[in-house]
Amino acid sequence: MPYKLSISSWKAFPFLILLVFIAPVLIVLSSLFGDYSENWSHLYNYVLFDYVSNSILLILGVIFLVLIIGLSTSWLVTNYSFYGKEFLEWALILPLSIPPYILAYTFTGLFDTTGTANNLSREILNLGQDFVLFPNVRNIYGAILVFSFTLYPYVYLVSRTAFMNQSRSMLEAGRVLGLSQFQTFYKLSLPIIRPAIIGGLMLVIMETLSDFGAVDHFAIQTFTTGIFRTWYGLYDLNTAMQLASLLLIFVGVFYLLERYSRSETEYTSTSSTFRPTKEIELKGLKSSLAFFVCFFPIFIGFLLPVSELAVWAFSSNLGFFNEKFYTTTFNTIYLALFSALLCATLALLINYSIRFTKSRFSNLLSSLLSIGYAVPGLILAVGIVQLLAWLDNKVLLGLEIVLTGSIIGLIFAYLIKSYALANSTFESGFKRISPSLDDSARILNSSGWSMLLRVHFPLLKTSFLTSLLLVTSEVVKELPATLILRPFNFDTLAVSTYLYAAEERMFLAAAPAIAIVAIGLIPIIILTRMIKSSRPTTNKDGYDS
Amino acid sequence: MGKIFLMKLLYKIPLFSFLFIIAFETLYASEVNIYTSRHYDSDESLYAEFTKETGIKVNVISGKGSALLERLKAEGKNSPADIFFTVDAGNLWKVQKEGLFSRINSKNITSIVPKNLRGPNDEWVATAKRARVIFYNPKKVSESEIKNLSYEDLAKPEWKGRIAIRSSSNMYNQSLVASLISNLGEKVTEEWAKNFVANFARKPQGNDRSQIIAVANDEADIAIANSYYLGIMLSRSKGDEQLEAAKKVKMHFPNQQNRGSHINISGAGILKNSPNKDNAVSFLEFLLSERVQNYMVNISFEYPVLKDVLPNPIMAAFGTDFKVDEVSVASYGELNPQAVKLMDRSGWQ
Amino acid sequence: MILEINNLQHSYDGTTQSIKNVNFKVRSGEFISILGHSGCGKSTLLRLIAGLEEQTEGTIKINGEIISDDKFQTPTEKRGLGLVVQEKALFPHLSVLKNTSFGIKNNAAGRSKAMDLLDLFEVSHLSSKYPNEISGGEQQRVALARALAPEPRILLLDEPFNALDEDLKNNLHNETKKIIEEKNLTVLMVSHDKNEAIFFSDRQIIMENGRIIEEID
Repeated sequence: MPYKLSISSWKAFPFLILLVFIAPVLIVLSSLFGDYSENWSHLYNYVLFDYVSNSILLILGVIFLVLIIGLSTSWLVTNYSFYGKEFLEWALILPLSIPPYILAYTFTGLFDTTGTANNLSREILNLGQDFVLFPNVRNIYGAILVFSFTLYPYVYLVSRTAFMNQSRSMLEAGRVLGLSQFQTFYKLSLPIIRPAIIGGLMLVIMETLSDFGAVDHFAIQTFTTGIFRTWYGLYDLNTAMQLASLLLIFVGVFYLLERYSRSETEYTSTSSTFRPTKEIELKGLKSSLAFFVCFFPIFIGFLLPVSELAVWAFSSNLGFFNEKFYTTTFNTIYLALFSALLCATLALLINYSIRFTKSRFSNLLSSLLSIGYAVPGLILAVGIVQLLAWLDNKVLLGLEIVLTGSIIGLIFAYLIKSYALANSTFESGFKRISPSLDDSARILNSSGWSMLLRVHFPLLKTSFLTSLLLVTSEVVKELPATLILRPFNFDTLAVSTYLYAAEERMFLAAAPAIAIVAIGLIPIIILTRMIKSSRPTTNKDGYDS
Repeated sequence: MGKIFLMKLLYKIPLFSFLFIIAFETLYASEVNIYTSRHYDSDESLYAEFTKETGIKVNVISGKGSALLERLKAEGKNSPADIFFTVDAGNLWKVQKEGLFSRINSKNITSIVPKNLRGPNDEWVATAKRARVIFYNPKKVSESEIKNLSYEDLAKPEWKGRIAIRSSSNMYNQSLVASLISNLGEKVTEEWAKNFVANFARKPQGNDRSQIIAVANDEADIAIANSYYLGIMLSRSKGDEQLEAAKKVKMHFPNQQNRGSHINISGAGILKNSPNKDNAVSFLEFLLSERVQNYMVNISFEYPVLKDVLPNPIMAAFGTDFKVDEVSVASYGELNPQAVKLMDRSGWQ
Repeated sequence: MILEINNLQHSYDGTTQSIKNVNFKVRSGEFISILGHSGCGKSTLLRLIAGLEEQTEGTIKINGEIISDDKFQTPTEKRGLGLVVQEKALFPHLSVLKNTSFGIKNNAAGRSKAMDLLDLFEVSHLSSKYPNEISGGEQQRVALARALAPEPRILLLDEPFNALDEDLKNNLHNETKKIIEEKNLTVLMVSHDKNEAIFFSDRQIIMENGRIIEEID
């Protein structure tokens, strides 16, 4: 291929992909410029306020809890050594393998009036049928708990990294000046790591606002359930899209905050006099207290739900291990792996083309392409349905191909949603490859495809594998988009779990739920390895080894 | 440089697999594609039976009624759907309103199903009936209280804190309210709804079965749910716990002294753009055959459409000749948006 | 005249000029050292010649043919040049032999040619080892061999001996000079070491602030 054409096609490639990715979102937003039906006055008078107030209440509650859990645990784990700390340090991220809707199902199974917890307590304490020890969780407080205990790991991870990068000299200076440990934390550490924490919080909020399964199960009126209800109850897709646009704008604010905080962190990163903190040893009561504080979130967010699921699964005499379960699992894994492969390849090609063409828009491009993770899956699905329908009816007319209802729409949604994950993996992978390698390769007559395949790809195998695993896990957990876009005879594990739980058939929901958690554990294990090796080791002199 | 060519080929492979998948989706001979919002496991055996009898492969996609409708609309002329199979007449009405059904011409079908259980222009037919009834705890609800009890009575203050019913987002409740609007008018129904909601024992949660279990557990005194659940629970197919719960409740048909109990249907219609019309007609006839009607009443505990078929003994024990609200089920869908807004206004979550 | 630079100008961000009007010529077989303090633009100049940066104005000609001006850029890979950088930049996933033969055909002839070059630099016994298994000095030798394998018209060296300690440096200096003279190579070397420059060069160009301020023969 002539050189100029080849370079142009490399340059154009990311922009083309960007157009394709953004199309569904634009379609949804375009509804804002259309007609507004009379349903809006009904929405406005009766439910819109609830959607907004519930969403705000959720966010505030979750922020509060997540900060407490995430900050306290990461602070303890970074600066102190105590009983069980080596285990707790990585175990604290285990709840990430439990999607919020699964925790919601186990919560109701436990804490409903006739749930396991109440039954047990009645038995143990020998109380009458009327007595209910645990409060009802099917309300906004229950939802706040659910989101907090599955999503706190984002804040934990981010603040842990930030704490670890703190300069010991600075903290010691604080102690010398008479600040107590708590004051050191509050006045010195906190302000510096604030941008990083904000980034983690924004991720938590975006996931909270995107959720459908948990809030639906708890019957809470939020934007996502409202969108479903307007679409299906008032059968007004247009108004539903307008509601979705509102949610998008809401989410967009948090998304921008997150990008902003990310850029801030780059400026406030460590000085050259960095020395890692030395751990203070805790003994006796303090050690037990530290253990408890760190163990509690793991218990609520992981151990408890997993045990409940296991109990359910075995209560039904393993009868759920039937053909349907195997088919569903196979479908899910096949779909996830295929999407992950596409996504990783895409991320590799785009990051490479940005590097190869020395694109000036590289940061902007990457940001825009990564926007998908902030867009709730439900909204993506709505946009994609419209996009595919338009393609089918206007472009592909006459051909035997039907896109709507095929697996294409679903894979498309997964690509958009998971691109950010694959992208950041490759971004850091590429950063580790010195540009002088590129220079040398080019001088030696290797560029374009040749350089990608002979030089970069062999060096990015870990990134490729990591993004494969991360994307697979994301896809397996996804619910709302899958519900809407899936084709004939095709249920995923998430859909199966949802459908059974919606009918309160928890025993049957347990098998697919456990499968989801198991698959979700794989990237967690990778993450924990990274956590274990991320502590800078110090030799006798206290310097980095 | 041969390497470059090979690499360009590899790059095209994801593209090939896309096309392969699309091609794979295109239909091959003798099948029928069913869009269903029914979520009963028993349907699987129904489809298997149909395939065994006719050799026609059954492809199923299940989802919420309105999700399926949106899909049908989006697919347009290219839609591969043959049959829309659902519970609740409201769902059928929605699809009918969009003009997506084609008229059922088969005499075999239209002569069996009574007029009030068909679409206005035979766009769809009922394949089974169910009643939305009152389940009560005989220890907490006296004979005099339950005698002649109607839906309207449930707004009265003596029922405060005693009623369990599922969320207003559920189609069955929306249709119930729609039928009340049709019979009593919107104003009366709204007044009723406000007081009815005030009598709830707890915030609406769970499905119909949960309401019945709530009564069995003394969380409420009465529950409103579909009739077939009692059959399912008493048949022990869902385990001992549900059987025990079912034994603690009794079923009452409301409004027997005036217009009759609210019923709803399972039903199906053939879609306009159906690529396998003949197979679709075969499937409908299959659903209305005596054998299958018998099967359905004994597996899903619904009431049959076919006059000669008797309901399952468990259900029959509670009465077969209950009075039925004769209002056309087609009206449920038409009044659905009003019903939903009314429920919103009355605070029914 | 193997290399002609005329009116070359360059700026990284559009505001500050890193190269402000550079002119010089190089004859075939010459060894030119480019000296100057850090930030004077010497590395930039080399990168412009290599095609790794684009000038804002001016022309570069090789053997009388314009390979780049402000409208037209021959891509790096087509310029027939060789490059060795301070960081050595060996491909970590390839063996020493594969690194060396990277720029030429990987057949028997190519591999034999690569081995010959490795022999010249006295590192042929390391041919199956990987870059992380050999020392810094050995890596630089391999880098030199790799650059020479495609028989470049001009060899560009960007402070290649900087990271080596004294003994290694002297050894390598001697060997490299011998090989360059044997092959009659044209070389442009950026350095900040005057002695090194004197050892190698026919001519020295001193740069400051993006300009050539002195030429020494």
